[in-house]
Amino acid sequence: MANLSVKLCGVTLKNPVIAASGTYGFGREFNELYDIGQIGGVSTKGMTLEPRLGNPVPRIAESRGVILNAVGLQNPGVEHFIECDLEWLKSTGTAVIANVAGKTLEDYEKICARLDGLVDMVELNISCPNVKSGGMAFGIQPQSVEAVTRVAKSGAKNTPLIVKLSPNVESIATNAKAAENGGADCISLINTLTGMAIDIERRRPIIANNTGGVSGAGVKPVAVRMTYEASQAVSIPVIGMGGITCAEDAIEFLMAGATAVQVGTANFTDPYAMPKIIQGLNAWCDKHNVANVSDLTGTLQLNGR
Amino acid sequence: MKDYIATIVKNEKIAENVYAVTLDLGEPAKARCGQFGNLSVGGTHLLRRPIAICKIEGNTVTFCYQIKGEGTQRLKTLGVGEKLNVLMPLGNGFYVEETEKKVALVGGGVGVFPLISVLRQYGVDKEISAYIGYRNKGAVCGVEEFEKADKFTAVTDDGSYGEKMNAVQAFQADLAKGNRPDVVLACGPTPMLRALMKVTAEENLPCYVSLEERMGCGIGACLVCVCDMTDGKKARVCKDGPVFDACDVIL
Repeated sequence: MANLSVKLCGVTLKNPVIAASGTYGFGREFNELYDIGQIGGVSTKGMTLEPRLGNPVPRIAESRGVILNAVGLQNPGVEHFIECDLEWLKSTGTAVIANVAGKTLEDYEKICARLDGLVDMVELNISCPNVKSGGMAFGIQPQSVEAVTRVAKSGAKNTPLIVKLSPNVESIATNAKAAENGGADCISLINTLTGMAIDIERRRPIIANNTGGVSGAGVKPVAVRMTYEASQAVSIPVIGMGGITCAEDAIEFLMAGATAVQVGTANFTDPYAMPKIIQGLNAWCDKHNVANVSDLTGTLQLNGR
Repeated sequence: MKDYIATIVKNEKIAENVYAVTLDLGEPAKARCGQFGNLSVGGTHLLRRPIAICKIEGNTVTFCYQIKGEGTQRLKTLGVGEKLNVLMPLGNGFYVEETEKKVALVGGGVGVFPLISVLRQYGVDKEISAYIGYRNKGAVCGVEEFEKADKFTAVTDDGSYGEKMNAVQAFQADLAKGNRPDVVLACGPTPMLRALMKVTAEENLPCYVSLEERMGCGIGACLVCVCDMTDGKKARVCKDGPVFDACDVIL
Protein backbone atom coordinates (compact mmCIF):
# COMPACT_ATOMS: atom_id res chain seq x y z
CA MET A 1 0.00 0.00 0.00
CA ALA A 2 1.79 3.10 -1.23
CA ASN A 3 1.28 6.49 0.37
CA LEU A 4 -0.84 8.33 -2.20
CA SER A 5 -1.28 11.56 -0.26
CA VAL A 6 0.21 14.74 -1.65
CA LYS A 7 0.64 18.20 -0.24
CA LEU A 8 -0.44 21.08 -2.39
CA CYS A 9 0.19 24.61 -1.04
CA GLY A 10 -0.30 23.39 2.52
CA VAL A 11 -3.43 21.42 1.70
CA THR A 12 -3.13 17.65 2.07
CA LEU A 13 -4.98 15.63 -0.54
CA LYS A 14 -5.73 11.94 0.08
CA ASN A 15 -4.37 11.25 -3.36
CA PRO A 16 -3.27 13.35 -6.34
CA VAL A 17 -6.45 12.77 -8.38
CA ILE A 18 -8.80 15.76 -8.71
CA ALA A 19 -12.02 16.01 -10.70
CA ALA A 20 -11.58 18.61 -13.44
CA SER A 21 -13.92 21.57 -13.48
CA GLY A 22 -17.00 21.31 -15.67
CA THR A 23 -17.11 17.55 -15.91
CA TYR A 24 -18.21 16.80 -12.37
CA GLY A 25 -20.73 19.49 -11.38
CA PHE A 26 -20.45 19.87 -7.62
CA GLY A 27 -20.00 16.13 -7.16
CA ARG A 28 -23.56 15.14 -6.26
CA GLU A 29 -24.31 13.08 -9.37
CA PHE A 30 -21.09 11.07 -9.20
CA ASN A 31 -21.70 10.51 -5.50
CA GLU A 32 -24.73 8.47 -6.54
CA LEU A 33 -22.27 6.08 -8.20
CA TYR A 34 -19.48 6.01 -5.61
CA ASP A 35 -18.35 7.80 -2.45
CA ILE A 36 -16.60 10.89 -3.82
CA GLY A 37 -14.83 11.26 -0.48
CA GLN A 38 -12.23 8.87 -1.88
CA ILE A 39 -11.26 11.42 -4.56
CA GLY A 40 -8.32 13.70 -3.78
CA GLY A 41 -10.24 16.84 -4.68
CA VAL A 42 -13.10 18.25 -6.68
CA SER A 43 -12.70 21.34 -8.81
CA THR A 44 -16.26 22.64 -9.07
CA LYS A 45 -18.16 23.71 -12.13
CA GLY A 46 -16.83 27.16 -13.11
CA MET A 47 -18.71 29.78 -11.12
CA THR A 48 -19.41 33.46 -11.61
CA LEU A 49 -20.78 36.10 -9.23
CA GLU A 50 -24.18 35.99 -10.91
CA PRO A 51 -25.94 32.92 -12.36
CA ARG A 52 -25.30 32.32 -16.06
CA LEU A 53 -27.39 30.42 -18.62
CA GLY A 54 -24.53 29.45 -20.92
CA ASN A 55 -24.53 28.83 -24.65
CA PRO A 56 -27.22 27.43 -26.96
CA VAL A 57 -27.19 23.69 -27.75
CA PRO A 58 -25.60 21.59 -29.18
CA ARG A 59 -22.81 22.15 -26.70
CA ILE A 60 -20.78 19.03 -27.39
CA ALA A 61 -19.32 17.08 -30.30
CA GLU A 62 -16.98 14.17 -30.72
CA SER A 63 -13.96 13.69 -32.93
CA ARG A 64 -11.65 10.68 -32.93
CA GLY A 65 -9.99 10.42 -29.54
CA VAL A 66 -11.27 13.80 -28.36
CA ILE A 67 -14.41 15.75 -27.63
CA LEU A 68 -15.26 19.41 -28.08
CA ASN A 69 -17.47 21.35 -25.70
CA ALA A 70 -18.86 24.83 -25.43
CA VAL A 71 -21.12 24.93 -22.39
CA GLY A 72 -20.37 28.59 -21.84
CA LEU A 73 -20.08 28.72 -18.06
CA GLN A 74 -23.68 27.89 -17.24
CA ASN A 75 -23.74 27.98 -13.45
CA PRO A 76 -26.08 28.88 -10.60
CA GLY A 77 -23.83 31.63 -9.25
CA VAL A 78 -21.41 31.58 -6.34
CA GLU A 79 -24.03 32.39 -3.69
CA HIS A 80 -26.07 29.35 -4.69
CA PHE A 81 -22.96 27.22 -4.35
CA ILE A 82 -22.18 28.57 -0.90
CA GLU A 83 -25.76 28.13 0.23
CA CYS A 84 -26.62 24.76 -1.33
CA ASP A 85 -23.51 22.74 -2.17
CA LEU A 86 -20.48 23.85 -0.19
CA GLU A 87 -21.21 22.24 3.18
CA TRP A 88 -22.31 19.01 1.57
CA LEU A 89 -19.22 18.84 -0.65
CA LYS A 90 -16.94 19.48 2.34
CA SER A 91 -18.73 16.79 4.33
CA THR A 92 -17.76 14.15 1.77
CA GLY A 93 -14.12 14.54 2.81
CA THR A 94 -12.78 15.51 -0.60
CA ALA A 95 -10.78 18.72 -0.96
CA VAL A 96 -13.00 21.51 -2.28
CA ILE A 97 -11.53 23.60 -5.07
CA ALA A 98 -13.80 26.42 -6.22
CA ASN A 99 -13.31 27.14 -9.91
CA VAL A 100 -14.19 30.77 -10.67
CA ALA A 101 -14.46 33.05 -13.69
CA GLY A 102 -15.33 36.66 -14.30
CA LYS A 103 -15.82 39.33 -16.91
CA THR A 104 -13.74 42.00 -15.26
CA LEU A 105 -10.78 42.21 -12.90
CA GLU A 106 -13.19 43.43 -10.25
CA ASP A 107 -15.32 40.28 -10.69
CA TYR A 108 -12.28 38.12 -10.03
CA GLU A 109 -11.39 40.03 -6.89
CA LYS A 110 -14.95 39.91 -5.57
CA ILE A 111 -15.57 36.22 -6.18
CA CYS A 112 -12.19 35.27 -4.69
CA ALA A 113 -12.87 37.42 -1.63
CA ARG A 114 -16.31 35.83 -1.23
CA LEU A 115 -14.82 32.33 -1.21
CA ASP A 116 -11.74 33.20 0.84
CA GLY A 117 -11.54 30.92 3.85
CA LEU A 118 -14.60 28.91 2.82
CA VAL A 119 -12.95 26.44 0.44
CA ASP A 120 -9.66 24.53 0.42
CA MET A 121 -8.42 26.20 -2.74
CA VAL A 122 -9.61 28.57 -5.44
CA GLU A 123 -8.89 27.81 -9.09
CA LEU A 124 -8.90 30.76 -11.43
CA ASN A 125 -10.43 30.12 -14.82
CA ILE A 126 -8.77 32.69 -17.05
CA SER A 127 -8.89 30.47 -20.05
CA CYS A 128 -12.45 29.50 -20.85
CA PRO A 129 -12.45 29.50 -24.64
CA ASN A 130 -16.21 29.35 -24.96
CA VAL A 131 -17.52 32.68 -23.81
CA LYS A 132 -16.63 36.09 -25.15
CA SER A 133 -16.04 37.40 -21.68
CA GLY A 134 -15.17 34.24 -19.78
CA GLY A 135 -11.72 35.22 -18.79
CA MET A 136 -10.01 34.02 -21.96
CA ALA A 137 -9.08 37.64 -22.56
CA PHE A 138 -7.04 37.49 -19.35
CA GLY A 139 -5.43 34.17 -20.13
CA ILE A 140 -3.52 34.93 -23.31
CA GLN A 141 -1.00 37.71 -22.68
CA PRO A 142 1.48 37.20 -19.82
CA GLN A 143 0.90 40.78 -18.63
CA SER A 144 -2.83 40.18 -18.16
CA VAL A 145 -2.23 36.73 -16.62
CA GLU A 146 -0.07 38.41 -14.01
CA ALA A 147 -2.54 41.26 -13.49
CA VAL A 148 -5.61 39.05 -13.00
CA THR A 149 -3.65 36.74 -10.71
CA ARG A 150 -2.57 39.66 -8.54
CA VAL A 151 -6.11 40.99 -8.27
CA ALA A 152 -7.53 37.52 -7.51
CA LYS A 153 -4.90 36.92 -4.85
CA SER A 154 -5.84 40.19 -3.19
CA GLY A 155 -9.32 38.62 -2.81
CA ALA A 156 -8.21 35.11 -1.86
CA LYS A 157 -5.83 36.34 0.84
CA ASN A 158 -5.99 33.25 3.03
CA THR A 159 -6.80 30.59 0.48
CA PRO A 160 -4.31 28.97 -1.89
CA LEU A 161 -4.86 30.27 -5.41
CA ILE A 162 -4.46 28.02 -8.46
CA VAL A 163 -4.27 29.72 -11.84
CA LYS A 164 -5.53 27.50 -14.66
CA LEU A 165 -3.58 28.20 -17.81
CA SER A 166 -4.75 28.21 -21.39
CA PRO A 167 -2.75 26.18 -23.91
CA ASN A 168 -3.83 28.55 -26.69
CA VAL A 169 -0.86 30.85 -26.07
CA GLU A 170 2.53 31.74 -27.47
CA SER A 171 4.60 30.42 -24.55
CA ILE A 172 3.21 28.29 -21.74
CA ALA A 173 6.42 28.79 -19.75
CA THR A 174 6.11 32.57 -19.94
CA ASN A 175 2.48 32.49 -18.83
CA ALA A 176 3.27 30.07 -16.01
CA LYS A 177 5.96 32.43 -14.80
CA ALA A 178 3.55 35.36 -15.13
CA ALA A 179 1.06 33.62 -12.85
CA GLU A 180 3.77 32.92 -10.32
CA ASN A 181 4.91 36.56 -10.45
CA GLY A 182 1.31 37.65 -9.89
CA GLY A 183 1.19 35.69 -6.65
CA ALA A 184 -0.29 32.35 -7.69
CA ASP A 185 0.26 29.57 -5.16
CA CYS A 186 -0.11 26.89 -7.82
CA ILE A 187 -0.82 26.54 -11.53
CA SER A 188 -2.98 24.00 -13.33
CA LEU A 189 -2.88 23.13 -17.02
CA ILE A 190 -3.99 22.57 -19.65
CA ASN A 191 -7.43 24.02 -20.18
CA THR A 192 -8.98 22.96 -23.48
CA LEU A 193 -7.51 23.66 -26.90
CA THR A 194 -9.78 25.67 -29.16
CA GLY A 195 -11.17 23.56 -32.00
CA MET A 196 -13.96 23.07 -34.52
CA ALA A 197 -15.88 20.05 -35.82
CA ILE A 198 -18.04 20.33 -38.93
CA ASP A 199 -21.22 18.55 -39.94
CA ILE A 200 -20.43 18.22 -43.64
CA GLU A 201 -24.05 17.51 -44.64
CA ARG A 202 -25.17 20.83 -43.20
CA ARG A 203 -21.86 22.59 -43.88
CA ARG A 204 -22.03 24.02 -40.39
CA PRO A 205 -20.08 23.52 -37.18
CA ILE A 206 -21.72 20.86 -34.98
CA ILE A 207 -21.49 23.02 -31.87
CA ALA A 208 -23.86 26.01 -31.74
CA ASN A 209 -20.99 28.18 -30.54
CA ASN A 210 -19.06 27.18 -33.72
CA THR A 211 -15.84 26.53 -31.81
CA GLY A 212 -15.36 24.48 -28.68
CA GLY A 213 -12.71 23.38 -26.25
CA VAL A 214 -10.95 20.16 -27.27
CA SER A 215 -10.22 17.63 -24.53
CA GLY A 216 -9.84 13.91 -24.03
CA ALA A 217 -7.26 11.21 -24.67
CA GLY A 218 -5.99 12.75 -27.92
CA VAL A 219 -4.71 15.95 -26.29
CA LYS A 220 -2.51 14.17 -23.76
CA PRO A 221 0.89 14.49 -25.47
CA VAL A 222 0.39 18.24 -25.86
CA ALA A 223 -0.67 18.50 -22.22
CA VAL A 224 2.28 16.46 -20.94
CA ARG A 225 4.72 18.60 -22.91
CA MET A 226 3.17 21.80 -21.58
CA THR A 227 3.10 20.46 -18.01
CA TYR A 228 6.81 19.75 -18.33
CA GLU A 229 7.62 23.20 -19.75
CA ALA A 230 5.51 25.02 -17.18
CA SER A 231 6.92 23.08 -14.24
CA GLN A 232 10.45 23.85 -15.40
CA ALA A 233 9.60 27.56 -15.45
CA VAL A 234 8.15 27.93 -11.95
CA SER A 235 8.92 26.89 -8.39
CA ILE A 236 5.25 26.69 -7.28
CA PRO A 237 3.43 23.33 -7.57
CA VAL A 238 1.78 22.31 -10.82
CA ILE A 239 -1.45 20.37 -11.41
CA GLY A 240 -1.36 18.56 -14.75
CA MET A 241 -4.32 17.58 -16.87
CA GLY A 242 -5.36 16.82 -20.42
CA GLY A 243 -6.55 13.45 -21.63
CA ILE A 244 -5.81 11.43 -18.50
CA THR A 245 -7.69 8.14 -18.81
CA CYS A 246 -5.76 5.69 -16.62
CA ALA A 247 -3.17 5.58 -13.84
CA GLU A 248 -0.30 5.32 -16.32
CA ASP A 249 -1.42 8.57 -17.94
CA ALA A 250 -1.49 10.27 -14.54
CA ILE A 251 2.04 9.02 -13.82
CA GLU A 252 3.31 10.66 -17.02
CA PHE A 253 2.08 14.01 -15.75
CA LEU A 254 3.61 13.45 -12.31
CA MET A 255 6.96 12.57 -13.84
CA ALA A 256 6.71 15.63 -16.09
CA GLY A 257 6.54 17.78 -12.98
CA ALA A 258 2.98 17.73 -11.67
CA THR A 259 2.22 17.31 -7.97
CA ALA A 260 -1.38 16.38 -8.68
CA VAL A 261 -3.55 15.74 -11.72
CA GLN A 262 -7.09 16.45 -12.86
CA VAL A 263 -9.37 14.09 -14.73
CA GLY A 264 -12.18 15.45 -16.90
CA THR A 265 -13.37 13.87 -20.12
CA ALA A 266 -12.58 10.34 -18.87
CA ASN A 267 -15.45 10.77 -16.38
CA PHE A 268 -17.82 10.75 -19.37
CA THR A 269 -16.33 7.66 -20.98
CA ASP A 270 -16.25 5.75 -17.70
CA PRO A 271 -18.02 7.28 -14.71
CA TYR A 272 -15.74 5.22 -12.45
CA ALA A 273 -12.56 6.52 -14.14
CA MET A 274 -11.24 8.36 -11.09
CA PRO A 275 -11.61 5.59 -8.48
CA LYS A 276 -9.96 3.26 -11.00
CA ILE A 277 -7.07 5.70 -11.55
CA ILE A 278 -6.52 5.96 -7.80
CA GLN A 279 -6.44 2.16 -7.47
CA GLY A 280 -4.14 1.95 -10.46
CA LEU A 281 -1.72 4.50 -8.97
CA ASN A 282 -1.49 2.41 -5.83
CA ALA A 283 -0.88 -0.77 -7.80
CA TRP A 284 1.77 0.87 -10.00
CA CYS A 285 3.61 2.32 -7.02
CA ASP A 286 3.58 -1.02 -5.22
CA LYS A 287 4.85 -2.82 -8.27
CA HIS A 288 7.66 -0.29 -8.76
CA ASN A 289 8.59 -0.01 -5.08
CA VAL A 290 7.54 3.62 -4.90
CA ALA A 291 6.68 4.34 -1.27
CA ASN A 292 5.15 7.77 -1.83
CA VAL A 293 3.40 8.83 -4.98
CA SER A 294 4.82 12.31 -4.38
CA ASP A 295 8.29 10.84 -5.02
CA LEU A 296 7.36 10.58 -8.71
CA THR A 297 6.95 14.31 -9.24
CA GLY A 298 9.48 15.75 -11.64
CA THR A 299 11.51 12.55 -11.97
CA LEU A 300 11.52 12.73 -15.76
CA GLN A 301 14.98 12.52 -17.32
CA LEU A 302 15.27 13.84 -20.84
CA ASN A 303 17.09 11.80 -23.44
CA GLY A 304 20.57 13.00 -24.27
CA ARG A 305 21.10 14.59 -27.63
CA MET B 1 -28.32 3.75 -11.77
CA LYS B 2 -25.49 1.31 -12.31
CA ASP B 3 -22.73 0.81 -14.86
CA TYR B 4 -23.25 -2.70 -16.18
CA ILE B 5 -20.71 -4.68 -18.15
CA ALA B 6 -23.33 -6.19 -20.41
CA THR B 7 -23.13 -8.99 -22.94
CA ILE B 8 -24.67 -8.58 -26.38
CA VAL B 9 -27.20 -11.32 -27.02
CA LYS B 10 -28.62 -9.87 -30.23
CA ASN B 11 -27.76 -6.96 -32.54
CA GLU B 12 -29.75 -6.85 -35.74
CA LYS B 13 -31.37 -4.64 -38.31
CA ILE B 14 -35.07 -3.99 -37.71
CA ALA B 15 -35.77 -1.34 -40.36
CA GLU B 16 -33.95 0.80 -42.90
CA ASN B 17 -30.93 2.20 -41.01
CA VAL B 18 -32.34 1.13 -37.62
CA TYR B 19 -30.90 -1.61 -35.41
CA ALA B 20 -31.91 -3.24 -32.14
CA VAL B 21 -29.31 -4.38 -29.65
CA THR B 22 -30.28 -6.64 -26.76
CA LEU B 23 -27.97 -6.75 -23.76
CA ASP B 24 -27.79 -9.23 -20.93
CA LEU B 25 -27.06 -7.34 -17.71
CA GLY B 26 -26.33 -10.47 -15.67
CA GLU B 27 -29.08 -9.56 -13.21
CA PRO B 28 -32.72 -8.53 -13.48
CA ALA B 29 -32.95 -5.36 -15.56
CA LYS B 30 -34.85 -2.54 -13.90
CA ALA B 31 -36.13 0.65 -15.49
CA ARG B 32 -39.34 2.53 -15.94
CA CYS B 33 -40.71 3.46 -19.33
CA GLY B 34 -39.09 6.46 -20.97
CA GLN B 35 -35.75 6.07 -19.20
CA PHE B 36 -32.53 5.61 -21.13
CA GLY B 37 -29.13 4.00 -20.99
CA ASN B 38 -25.72 5.48 -21.84
CA LEU B 39 -23.89 2.92 -23.99
CA SER B 40 -20.16 2.78 -24.52
CA VAL B 41 -19.30 1.92 -28.12
CA GLY B 42 -15.54 1.59 -27.60
CA GLY B 43 -12.86 2.33 -30.16
CA THR B 44 -11.75 5.95 -30.20
CA HIS B 45 -15.15 7.11 -28.99
CA LEU B 46 -14.94 8.95 -25.70
CA LEU B 47 -18.61 9.81 -25.42
CA ARG B 48 -21.24 7.22 -24.70
CA ARG B 49 -24.42 7.08 -26.75
CA PRO B 50 -27.62 7.89 -24.85
CA ILE B 51 -30.36 5.60 -26.18
CA ALA B 52 -33.93 5.08 -24.98
CA ILE B 53 -34.84 1.80 -23.36
CA CYS B 54 -37.29 -0.03 -25.58
CA LYS B 55 -37.85 -3.36 -23.84
CA ILE B 56 -36.98 -5.00 -20.54
CA GLU B 57 -37.29 -8.79 -20.29
CA GLY B 58 -35.74 -10.63 -17.35
CA ASN B 59 -32.03 -9.89 -17.38
CA THR B 60 -32.11 -8.28 -20.80
CA VAL B 61 -32.70 -4.79 -22.08
CA THR B 62 -33.23 -3.80 -25.71
CA PHE B 63 -32.18 -0.50 -27.24
CA CYS B 64 -33.09 0.54 -30.77
CA TYR B 65 -30.83 2.95 -32.55
CA GLN B 66 -30.57 4.73 -35.85
CA ILE B 67 -27.23 4.72 -37.67
CA LYS B 68 -26.28 8.40 -37.52
CA GLY B 69 -22.50 8.65 -37.31
CA GLU B 70 -19.32 6.76 -36.53
CA GLY B 71 -20.43 5.78 -33.03
CA THR B 72 -23.66 4.06 -34.04
CA GLN B 73 -21.87 2.67 -37.09
CA ARG B 74 -19.44 0.97 -34.70
CA LEU B 75 -22.21 -0.19 -32.36
CA LYS B 76 -23.79 -1.91 -35.35
CA THR B 77 -20.65 -3.99 -35.92
CA LEU B 78 -20.53 -5.41 -32.37
CA GLY B 79 -21.47 -9.07 -32.33
CA VAL B 80 -23.21 -11.53 -30.04
CA GLY B 81 -21.07 -12.32 -27.00
CA GLU B 82 -19.16 -9.03 -27.08
CA LYS B 83 -19.26 -6.84 -23.98
CA LEU B 84 -20.23 -3.24 -23.68
CA ASN B 85 -20.78 -0.90 -20.76
CA VAL B 86 -24.21 0.54 -20.19
CA LEU B 87 -25.00 3.04 -17.47
CA MET B 88 -28.70 2.75 -16.66
CA PRO B 89 -31.45 3.48 -15.91
CA LEU B 90 -31.05 7.22 -16.45
CA GLY B 91 -33.52 10.10 -16.52
CA ASN B 92 -37.02 10.42 -15.13
CA GLY B 93 -39.21 8.44 -17.55
CA PHE B 94 -42.93 8.63 -18.27
CA TYR B 95 -45.53 8.48 -15.47
CA VAL B 96 -49.24 7.98 -16.02
CA GLU B 97 -51.48 9.07 -13.14
CA GLU B 98 -54.01 6.71 -11.59
CA THR B 99 -56.82 8.95 -12.83
CA GLU B 100 -55.55 8.99 -16.41
CA LYS B 101 -57.23 5.99 -18.01
CA LYS B 102 -57.00 6.84 -21.70
CA VAL B 103 -53.47 7.38 -22.97
CA ALA B 104 -52.46 8.59 -26.42
CA LEU B 105 -48.95 7.80 -27.69
CA VAL B 106 -47.70 10.06 -30.48
CA GLY B 107 -44.36 9.15 -31.98
CA GLY B 108 -42.18 9.55 -35.02
CA GLY B 109 -38.76 8.40 -36.20
CA VAL B 110 -36.61 6.81 -33.50
CA GLY B 111 -38.99 8.41 -31.00
CA VAL B 112 -41.25 5.40 -31.35
CA PHE B 113 -39.01 3.18 -29.21
CA PRO B 114 -39.49 4.79 -25.79
CA LEU B 115 -43.22 4.67 -26.53
CA ILE B 116 -42.97 0.89 -26.87
CA SER B 117 -41.66 0.85 -23.29
CA VAL B 118 -44.77 2.82 -22.23
CA LEU B 119 -47.02 0.32 -23.91
CA ARG B 120 -45.23 -2.55 -22.21
CA GLN B 121 -45.53 -0.92 -18.80
CA TYR B 122 -49.07 0.46 -18.99
CA GLY B 123 -50.67 -1.66 -21.71
CA VAL B 124 -52.68 -3.79 -19.31
CA ASP B 125 -54.02 -1.07 -17.02
CA LYS B 126 -54.68 1.70 -19.51
CA GLU B 127 -56.59 2.17 -22.72
CA ILE B 128 -53.84 3.08 -25.14
CA SER B 129 -54.10 4.59 -28.62
CA ALA B 130 -50.85 4.82 -30.57
CA TYR B 131 -50.35 7.25 -33.47
CA ILE B 132 -47.03 6.45 -35.08
CA GLY B 133 -45.48 8.22 -38.05
CA TYR B 134 -42.77 6.78 -40.25
CA ARG B 135 -40.85 8.29 -43.15
CA ASN B 136 -41.84 5.48 -45.51
CA LYS B 137 -42.60 1.77 -45.59
CA GLY B 138 -38.92 0.84 -45.23
CA ALA B 139 -38.73 2.72 -41.92
CA VAL B 140 -41.70 0.93 -40.37
CA CYS B 141 -40.78 -0.99 -37.23
CA GLY B 142 -42.18 -1.99 -33.86
CA VAL B 143 -45.54 -2.86 -35.44
CA GLU B 144 -45.81 -6.17 -33.55
CA GLU B 145 -45.51 -4.17 -30.31
CA PHE B 146 -47.89 -1.34 -31.23
CA GLU B 147 -50.51 -3.81 -32.41
CA LYS B 148 -50.90 -4.77 -28.74
CA ALA B 149 -52.34 -1.29 -28.10
CA ASP B 150 -56.10 -0.84 -27.94
CA LYS B 151 -55.80 1.21 -31.09
CA PHE B 152 -52.85 1.59 -33.46
CA THR B 153 -52.66 4.04 -36.34
CA ALA B 154 -49.53 3.89 -38.48
CA VAL B 155 -48.97 6.57 -41.10
CA THR B 156 -46.13 7.52 -43.45
CA ASP B 157 -44.88 10.76 -44.97
CA ASP B 158 -45.24 9.32 -48.47
CA GLY B 159 -48.31 7.12 -47.99
CA SER B 160 -46.37 3.90 -48.71
CA TYR B 161 -47.69 2.36 -45.46
CA GLY B 162 -50.95 3.54 -43.87
CA GLU B 163 -52.33 6.92 -44.76
CA LYS B 164 -50.17 9.74 -46.09
CA MET B 165 -49.92 12.08 -43.13
CA ASN B 166 -47.83 12.60 -40.02
CA ALA B 167 -48.42 11.28 -36.51
CA VAL B 168 -49.78 14.58 -35.21
CA GLN B 169 -52.30 14.77 -38.04
CA ALA B 170 -53.38 11.19 -37.30
CA PHE B 171 -53.83 12.09 -33.64
CA GLN B 172 -55.77 15.24 -34.54
CA ALA B 173 -58.05 13.34 -36.91
CA ASP B 174 -59.00 10.94 -34.11
CA LEU B 175 -59.43 13.81 -31.69
CA ALA B 176 -61.90 15.40 -34.15
CA LYS B 177 -63.89 12.16 -34.04
CA GLY B 178 -64.26 12.58 -30.29
CA ASN B 179 -61.52 10.18 -29.15
CA ARG B 180 -60.13 12.37 -26.43
CA PRO B 181 -57.36 10.92 -24.23
CA ASP B 182 -56.70 11.88 -20.62
CA VAL B 183 -53.02 12.33 -21.33
CA VAL B 184 -50.70 12.45 -24.36
CA LEU B 185 -47.18 11.00 -24.26
CA ALA B 186 -44.89 11.80 -27.14
CA CYS B 187 -41.42 11.35 -28.55
CA GLY B 188 -40.06 12.25 -31.94
CA PRO B 189 -38.40 14.95 -34.04
CA THR B 190 -38.61 18.48 -32.64
CA PRO B 191 -40.92 19.82 -35.43
CA MET B 192 -43.34 16.97 -34.65
CA LEU B 193 -43.27 17.73 -30.93
CA ARG B 194 -43.78 21.44 -31.61
CA ALA B 195 -46.82 20.74 -33.76
CA LEU B 196 -48.22 18.38 -31.15
CA MET B 197 -47.65 20.79 -28.28
CA LYS B 198 -49.63 23.42 -30.19
CA VAL B 199 -52.56 21.02 -30.54
CA THR B 200 -52.51 19.83 -26.92
CA ALA B 201 -52.24 23.41 -25.66
CA GLU B 202 -55.26 24.46 -27.72
CA GLU B 203 -57.20 21.40 -26.60
CA ASN B 204 -56.08 21.83 -23.02
CA LEU B 205 -54.79 18.25 -22.92
CA PRO B 206 -52.01 17.18 -20.54
CA CYS B 207 -49.00 16.31 -22.65
CA TYR B 208 -45.55 14.97 -21.81
CA VAL B 209 -42.73 15.01 -24.32
CA SER B 210 -39.46 13.09 -24.30
CA LEU B 211 -36.57 15.18 -25.64
CA GLU B 212 -33.30 14.30 -27.29
CA GLU B 213 -30.05 16.25 -27.02
CA ARG B 214 -26.33 15.64 -27.44
CA MET B 215 -25.07 14.59 -24.00
CA GLY B 216 -21.80 14.54 -22.09
CA CYS B 217 -21.99 12.69 -18.78
CA GLY B 218 -25.62 11.55 -19.03
CA ILE B 219 -26.13 11.92 -15.27
CA GLY B 220 -26.64 15.65 -14.78
CA ALA B 221 -23.15 16.83 -13.91
CA CYS B 222 -21.81 18.53 -17.03
CA LEU B 223 -24.71 20.77 -18.16
CA VAL B 224 -24.18 19.91 -21.83
CA CYS B 225 -27.69 18.72 -22.73
CA VAL B 226 -29.92 21.55 -21.62
CA CYS B 227 -33.30 22.75 -22.85
CA ASP B 228 -35.12 26.04 -22.35
CA MET B 229 -37.89 26.19 -19.77
CA THR B 230 -40.87 28.54 -19.77
CA ASP B 231 -39.71 30.00 -16.44
CA GLY B 232 -36.55 31.29 -18.14
CA LYS B 233 -34.32 28.63 -16.62
CA LYS B 234 -32.51 25.73 -18.27
CA ALA B 235 -33.18 22.10 -17.47
CA ARG B 236 -30.89 19.13 -17.96
CA VAL B 237 -32.40 16.74 -20.50
CA CYS B 238 -30.50 13.77 -19.03
CA LYS B 239 -31.35 14.30 -15.36
CA ASP B 240 -34.42 16.57 -15.13
CA GLY B 241 -35.83 14.87 -18.25
CA PRO B 242 -35.80 13.43 -20.81
CA VAL B 243 -39.56 13.62 -20.20
CA PHE B 244 -41.02 17.07 -19.59
CA ASP B 245 -44.48 18.48 -19.13
CA ALA B 246 -45.14 20.18 -22.47
CA CYS B 247 -46.24 23.30 -20.55
CA ASP B 248 -42.77 23.66 -19.01
CA VAL B 249 -40.47 23.51 -22.04
CA ILE B 250 -39.83 25.74 -25.03
CA LEU B 251 -38.85 23.84 -28.15
